[in-house]
Amino acid sequence: MIKFENISKTYSDGTVALNNVSFEIPKGQFCVLLGHSGAGKSTILRLVNGLEQPSSGSVTVDGSKIVPNSLQSVRRKVSMIHQEVNLSPRSSVAVNVMSGALADVSALLAMIGWFPERLRRKCCELVERVGLTENHLKRRISTLSGGQQQRVGIARSLMLDPLVILADEPIASLDPSVSRDVLSHLRNIAKERGCTILCCLHQVEMAKEFADRIVGIEGGHVVFDRLPSDVDEMTLRLIYKNYDDPFGEDVVAAAAVENVLEVAVKR
Amino acid sequence: MSPKNEIRQKTDSERPAIEWELAPPYGSKTVLIILVVVIVMIVSGNHTKIDRMFYLMGEAVGNIVGLNDSSQVVSGTKNIARSMFPLQFSETTEVSRIENFDPKDLPMFSTLKSKQTSVTRVNPQTLALEKTTTTRTVLYNPIGYFMHVLRKMLETIEIAIWATLFGIIISIPLTYCSAANYTRNRLTYGFARGAVSMFRAIPELISAMFLVLAFGFGPIAGILALAIHSAGFLGKFYAEDIENADSGPQEALRAIGVSKIKTLRYAVLPQVLPQYVAYNMYILDRNVRMATVIGLVGAGGIGQELKGRYDLFDYGHVSTILMMIFLTVFALDHISGRIRSKLI
Repeated sequence: MIKFENISKTYSDGTVALNNVSFEIPKGQFCVLLGHSGAGKSTILRLVNGLEQPSSGSVTVDGSKIVPNSLQSVRRKVSMIHQEVNLSPRSSVAVNVMSGALADVSALLAMIGWFPERLRRKCCELVERVGLTENHLKRRISTLSGGQQQRVGIARSLMLDPLVILADEPIASLDPSVSRDVLSHLRNIAKERGCTILCCLHQVEMAKEFADRIVGIEGGHVVFDRLPSDVDEMTLRLIYKNYDDPFGEDVVAAAAVENVLEVAVKR
Repeated sequence: MSPKNEIRQKTDSERPAIEWELAPPYGSKTVLIILVVVIVMIVSGNHTKIDRMFYLMGEAVGNIVGLNDSSQVVSGTKNIARSMFPLQFSETTEVSRIENFDPKDLPMFSTLKSKQTSVTRVNPQTLALEKTTTTRTVLYNPIGYFMHVLRKMLETIEIAIWATLFGIIISIPLTYCSAANYTRNRLTYGFARGAVSMFRAIPELISAMFLVLAFGFGPIAGILALAIHSAGFLGKFYAEDIENADSGPQEALRAIGVSKIKTLRYAVLPQVLPQYVAYNMYILDRNVRMATVIGLVGAGGIGQELKGRYDLFDYGHVSTILMMIFLTVFALDHISGRIRSKLI
């Protein structure tokens, strides 16, 4: 479904984000990208819907190569879920969900805020599917909790029946139980509809629980590409340096805090 | 060895002294800046006669508390105050000047009065001064002038509302072209920005003067003058808000192939709408105040009446008009405050 061929990407400020990356994601797979911040995960995602152009190599989605003048048709097949949710906070849930299908609404109707019956019905179905109620439809996004907002984000991403859903750290600001809830909604809905998911995560446990396949990115290279059950500590050390004491850097930081406290008590 | 122990060993005395530096918030540079500002203020104060202003004000205060005998300011103010009161509410019209006058059907509150006027003039035959007294019937309306001012005030408010409406309409395309992240190309951007700056740069009073020449005396010139200025303001404010709007929702829509104009409607407009309403209320408020002024150059509204009365030294009438303006602006402040708190 998605094919990366010898992709390299250098940003205009000289940062090398990706270096000769090639891999392929079959239809319907839930593929998770792991790697520390700045390793190039987001760049890979943004190449798929043309938010970034590769410096060299090519990306193919559903058999068609992504070039700048085919973006409109590609973006109808590829939807995206964002880390900061990126919903319009002052608009209602219904309007936000339906805005996922704006590419299908004529400009004039869009201006006066009139969505056709078909889209309104679809909006209701999707809001119900992600576990919200009819009462939520009219509520403003800003009145919802983080998990509910991200579920609205999922509903929005499904409005145009995408073939591919890109998820850029969708659970970054959520607590573990809400994260699990969001990811399981995403996974189940995608499986029902045969959507391919490409998802960046920082939570290793979540990745192992939900992914069909885990790809590790470090320094712009693919360093491993395995089934979740094959991802062990040794593998993870390829992308997180201190993986032996889980979250090694955090432990150091915690020790430092403890130290300061002890000194303070002594005085 | 775990990192925890490693750090614990290096405590207190063993840590080397760090060589960081945190500069004080103010220094010689600040003193220099203050010095320059003070010098500039002194020079400029000299140009604009600030010293004389303080001198006159001191003199006025001294006169009020009885320290000195004369003060130009106090006597001037007294003269104005004396001539401005009492407020003129009534209106008298000669019956003979009213067409088809019917004494049985008087307007509301009006009464008929007879008025005597004596005129002294030279008789051309005898070359002697003769005094002739004529008695005329006049229609006296105790609140006639007040009602006239009220109507004029209403016209002023109407001018302001239409001007605000046209201003908003003109500013919308200007906004779209002058928001750097939505405009199509540099040419339209430069053109729109230029237009917005130019609209804002011409004071209403000046543009009204020229528009009166083009459209004649009356509200049309006033509406257009205010609308152009409003469009300049709104175009700038709107465009800056659009440029500063949170980019997240916009990128989300861009990523799924939504056109620019729809993105503007769904990802930007909801964000900036409360601010837009506030701007529009401010512009309406401002237009009402300005609409009272542009009448001075003949562009309709209460200002035209004010100018006419002022030139005739009818200060009683002038103070009625000023009171009306004050009451209107005061009421408008309250109303706009309420509307704003409801909408935002």
